[in-house]
Amino acid sequence: MSSEVQTVARGAKLSLSAGQRVGVLVGVLWLVFALLPFFVTKPYLLHMGVLLFLAVIQGQAWNILGGYAGQHSLGHAAYFGLGAYTTVMLMEQNGISPFLGIWLGVLVAATVSLLIGAITFRLRGPYFVLASISVAEIIRLLALHFKDVTRGAEGFLISGVPVLHLGPLEIDFLGKRPFYFAAFVVALITTALSYAVQQSKIGYYLQAVREDQDAAHSIGINLQAYKCLALVISAGFTAWAGGFYALFVKFIDPDTVFGLDLSVQILLTCIVGGIGTLLGPALGALVLVPLSEILRNPKGLVQLGLVASDSSVVRVIEERFSNAHSFVYGLLLVVIILFAPEGLFGVLKRLLGPARVRQKA
Amino acid sequence: MQMFFQAAVSGILMGGVYALIGIGLTLIFGVMQVINFAHGDLVMVGMYAAWLLFSHFHVDPFVSILLTGPLLFLLGALLQRGFIQRVLGEAQENQILLTIGLGLLLSNTAMLIFTSDYQLLTTSYSSQAFSVAGVSMSVPLFFAFIVTMLVAFALYVFLMKTDTGAAIRATAQDREAAQLMGINVSRMSVLAFGLGAALAGIAGALIAPTYYIFPQVGHAFTLKSFVIVVLGGMGSVVGASIGGVLIGVVESLAALYLASGLKEAVVFALFLLLLLFRPSGLLGRART
Amino acid sequence: MTALLELKQVSKTFGGLRANWNVSFSVEQRSITGLIGPNGAGKTTLFSCITGYYPPSSGEVLFQGQRINGRRPDEVCRLGMVRTWQKVRPMAKLTVLDNVMVGALLRTWSLKRARALAEEQLHAVGLDKQATTLAGALPIGQRKRLEVARALATQPALLLLDEVMGGLNPAESNEMIALILTLRTRGITLVVIEHDMRAIMAVSDRVLVLNSGELLADGAPREVAENPAVIDAYLGKRVES
Repeated sequence: MSSEVQTVARGAKLSLSAGQRVGVLVGVLWLVFALLPFFVTKPYLLHMGVLLFLAVIQGQAWNILGGYAGQHSLGHAAYFGLGAYTTVMLMEQNGISPFLGIWLGVLVAATVSLLIGAITFRLRGPYFVLASISVAEIIRLLALHFKDVTRGAEGFLISGVPVLHLGPLEIDFLGKRPFYFAAFVVALITTALSYAVQQSKIGYYLQAVREDQDAAHSIGINLQAYKCLALVISAGFTAWAGGFYALFVKFIDPDTVFGLDLSVQILLTCIVGGIGTLLGPALGALVLVPLSEILRNPKGLVQLGLVASDSSVVRVIEERFSNAHSFVYGLLLVVIILFAPEGLFGVLKRLLGPARVRQKA
Repeated sequence: MQMFFQAAVSGILMGGVYALIGIGLTLIFGVMQVINFAHGDLVMVGMYAAWLLFSHFHVDPFVSILLTGPLLFLLGALLQRGFIQRVLGEAQENQILLTIGLGLLLSNTAMLIFTSDYQLLTTSYSSQAFSVAGVSMSVPLFFAFIVTMLVAFALYVFLMKTDTGAAIRATAQDREAAQLMGINVSRMSVLAFGLGAALAGIAGALIAPTYYIFPQVGHAFTLKSFVIVVLGGMGSVVGASIGGVLIGVVESLAALYLASGLKEAVVFALFLLLLLFRPSGLLGRART
Repeated sequence: MTALLELKQVSKTFGGLRANWNVSFSVEQRSITGLIGPNGAGKTTLFSCITGYYPPSSGEVLFQGQRINGRRPDEVCRLGMVRTWQKVRPMAKLTVLDNVMVGALLRTWSLKRARALAEEQLHAVGLDKQATTLAGALPIGQRKRLEVARALATQPALLLLDEVMGGLNPAESNEMIALILTLRTRGITLVVIEHDMRAIMAVSDRVLVLNSGELLADGAPREVAENPAVIDAYLGKRVES
């Protein structure tokens, strides 16, 4: 949080710290992503891009609660699913525009999160983790059970996304590009928000809570209030991602959007990237999304033109490694925790090295 | 009323197996304060081991526990030595993440080897049942319950009457003090994890005749065993035994009176209430 | 003039255990009160009761004339009373400066002002050079000073120090004693739990003695030192001053 820019006394050459170098790297990548749709037409690539940005949004959202405040929720799928189902149900059953519905989803998730926070934040460490899982599972089981409302395990299919009228603008959400840009912008916004939180009193307070709750309490921090604040922000953005996902993929079911797998995935994004860091979620998403997509849909490799359509690679992955992405998640978790707990951000910082100082003789 | 007793009895029988799984977990938590998210997957390994021994060598699952027990003990000891040992000093959140990762590796390796097809272990008595006072009891579950109680009793005797058992209990009570008294606490940790895994594996073998066997089957057990452990009090073997049976009954009754799809939700709701109002469980020591 | 802090028959029981029993005393503004007693006497428990970590089982705690029983620790801190911890609690992954800034942020939303305030406190305790060091890397003596600096940053009227001398070498102890005395000139009232008798005698206007949860003595340092009951409580150890 303190300034990391070091100035060399003589010659006043500005040197960037390792962390800032990683930041520049990521910044360049953002630029590439921003310009990508103008040079690339393969829809699958854009599709992956949308999923990537959604992962960044979910990661940044989780990071505020899990990374900054240190409350490792494994139940964030609850908010994702609430966002998804609210948006979809309001659209299909009440005719409410999804562009409004998605925000109502955010509202629902934020409200529910306050309730959940009131209950679960009394618990600490692993007990909190277990409680967060329980809550998400209860919601998932309820969604599966009340078939009349949610269509249960069958899932919810939506017909399409209406045209968005923004003043004079008319945005037709056909094809991948509009989703790509929308998701890109929101991913940037959540990253900026994370930065703003980090560089504010809230950020300091959340990190204090993470480091030592009792000490934080004794120097004037209202634990419940700040944890709930982090949770509401976190839940809100996660729900937005859920609603967006529903509109993009056009099919949701309880196991996918409320499932523990999703919660683990979100957490993994932050762990792999670097928990508690600003760029961690972005780095984690960059690694995990392409990896899990290719492993889940090896045919995507064909669509990307990387392998021939009759290649054995595709066949092998499909037949033997149908759950390879889950295996890789497990492997990554073990490797990261044991050997690189600071995640990709930490590794990159070490690789890009400390600032080199050139001294004149 | 009849249905109530039926459900209760089935719940008790199933609860016995749950208890065994819970005892394993509570042992691990008691000695190492590690919350083992891979525990259910250890049960899964036990189930597959029993299935393999049955389908290839015609070993009855109940007999196979003589093999699955030691096998899972070894697996547990290896996991402890190779992985868990390294994060014992660190934040509990990291330990949880590590065990989640290990669990994922276990279940996905199973999927690699066996695919996600459901397997069935059908013995001659798999679907047999007998009636007592109008209540029908599944034969394999009944015997599983008996075996469970025997194993739990054996473990209890081991912990209470042997030197090693006393050393384990000492480590669970106060790791530092135990170390100062010359107890090799790392070895106790390995033992505890091995024992915990063995119990999980035995439980898996015992329910193999009555359950579908597939790679993801462990997950339901993991979460349930946490509830049992908290209910009975972290670190209490007796508590986990009672807790297991209680959860079995609650689940069974919930399926009867609410809906089968909600029975797990009831267990989770109970869990939340416990965590909030009685986190030290029915019989556990209060945590500092 | 109302006392800054007043305890009226405060008791705290845990199940059957009487950690504090019928403790009554008052603390005047700008005074330094020593709180001593054998291990397990209930001194830290008393601090925890006073600052809201848990509520007293009975009795009243009055701060600036207000009854504060059952208020949360953060509320108590905002009112102007802050405690340090017997077992230091540095926020390990934050820098020394950031640690103190957390304290300073109680009174302001501006990071700039918080930083300035924090730097002042670091200077007051002599930790300027360690500002960018991670708190987790500090040796015990500096951790103790960090703890004080962080508490000071909340701009308290009353500072409760819990064995802030513990683990310090004689030179560090002397520095800490000097620091405590300067705090009084800043207008801060202090209650100091200590085992180091020399330090207690050097700083206290008045000494309270706790034994088995009960207040055994309350008076000037010299009186207390020569009180036979006090001496007994310490198993015949004569207190040099």
